Amino acid sequence: MIFLKIRLTEGPNESEIMKKLIVVITATITAFSWISLHAGPDSDQAAFEKYFTSKFPDTPVSDFINGVYSIDKPSREQWEEIEEFPPYELAIDSGKAAWNKPFANSKTYADCFENEGAVRGNYPYWDADRKEVVTLELAINECRVANGEEPLKYNKGKMADISAYMSYQSRGQKINVVIPDDPDAMAAYERGKEFYYSKRGQLNFSCFDCHGSGSGNLVRADKLSPALGHTSHFPVYRSKWGGMGTLHRRFGGCNKQVRAAAFKPQSQIYRELELFLTYMSNGLDFNGPGARK
Amino acid sequence: MFKKVKTTAVASLVATIMTLGLMSYANVGIVSNAIASDGFESSWAAADEQRKMAAKLGFEWRDTKKLLKKAKAANESGENEKAMKLVAKAHEQSNDAIAQQERESSAWQSRVPK
Ligand code: HEC
Repeated sequence: MIFLKIRLTEGPNESEIMKKLIVVITATITAFSWISLHAGPDSDQAAFEKYFTSKFPDTPVSDFINGVYSIDKPSREQWEEIEEFPPYELAIDSGKAAWNKPFANSKTYADCFENEGAVRGNYPYWDADRKEVVTLELAINECRVANGEEPLKYNKGKMADISAYMSYQSRGQKINVVIPDDPDAMAAYERGKEFYYSKRGQLNFSCFDCHGSGSGNLVRADKLSPALGHTSHFPVYRSKWGGMGTLHRRFGGCNKQVRAAAFKPQSQIYRELELFLTYMSNGLDFNGPGARK
Repeated sequence: MFKKVKTTAVASLVATIMTLGLMSYANVGIVSNAIASDGFESSWAAADEQRKMAAKLGFEWRDTKKLLKKAKAANESGENEKAMKLVAKAHEQSNDAIAQQERESSAWQSRVPK
């Protein structure tokens, strides 16, 4: 700063040169930060997808929505049998009943969500007015509260049921998360991304250590699923849980697994993680609810 | 003349040593008193403060809170040594978690597929 001031007062010629130089430098820095921001999500997604299609060349890209079964033939056969009498059917049924049952004010979920609840494909999204990520589960509770009902707990139970029904209604919709051209939206995406790749907990693992570089490896009896397609099929019936769970329940479980403290379901960081991770699967189909071991 | 100076010097040296000795004796007394009375409380509070710092950074470890709970229980049932060990372990976990955050604030980028 001081140096610049001295130079600028040294005579008209030099000061002109200095001014031009400063303009050029500023423009260059702005251009570079613009490029690095805007090259972001799109090229991230392409590289992410390519990472998995190269690692598992036998798996068609559209099949990654089937989690570990997309890369593990033996367990796939068992799973296909399970899918004939899917364990999440009960959840869809009770979710459907909840969908049709009027609130105390005689409105229903249909007053909040269009298209008979087939709206999974609109979530998660960046809400520019609220400056935050809105997920389907968050919107379900906001619908309830706006109509004078108690909010539901986010991890399982009634929330998983209604979300399962809406996911079922939405089967086949394309994952198409949009990160708007907005510094706040970009920052949210970047936080989700940083979370995904950062090692955490006493065991010092990042999500990607297990579901990227470690995908296909065994952890105890489990084969690690590839991260591509990871958010397509939630909520999920998990035999280990003996019931349904939402995506954020899974996030919490995976955090605790590496002995990191979990965050609350629907906390800001988990919604941003969902935004990032769902964006990585753009172009694939939503196929929830799902069944897993 | 020479001799006299020497005696004075020796005397003052002895006096100094005695004073220092007394002072450190007094100090030890104060410190050990502190450990007995509020050493646990202040160590526990410092460890919990560190845990909160790790949590604020988003890097708290799963079991740190449990360790601090166990430490409190041990202290209440008079197992002071065990309690202090648990507190030390909890404190160390949070130090490690904070260091992990510091490392990861740049290291994560190396894992992003290019
Ligand atoms: C120590 C390894 C490990 C780490 C680290 C880990 N997970 Fe997992 N994760 C698993 C295992 C094991 C399963 C169950 C088997 C499978 O589907 O991979 C699983 C399952 C999942 C699933 C469900 C996949 C499906 O098809 O239903 C998602 C989503 C997931 N993890 C996300 C994450 C996220 C996000 C992180 C980082 C916060 C993370 N995981 C960190 C081990 C890990």
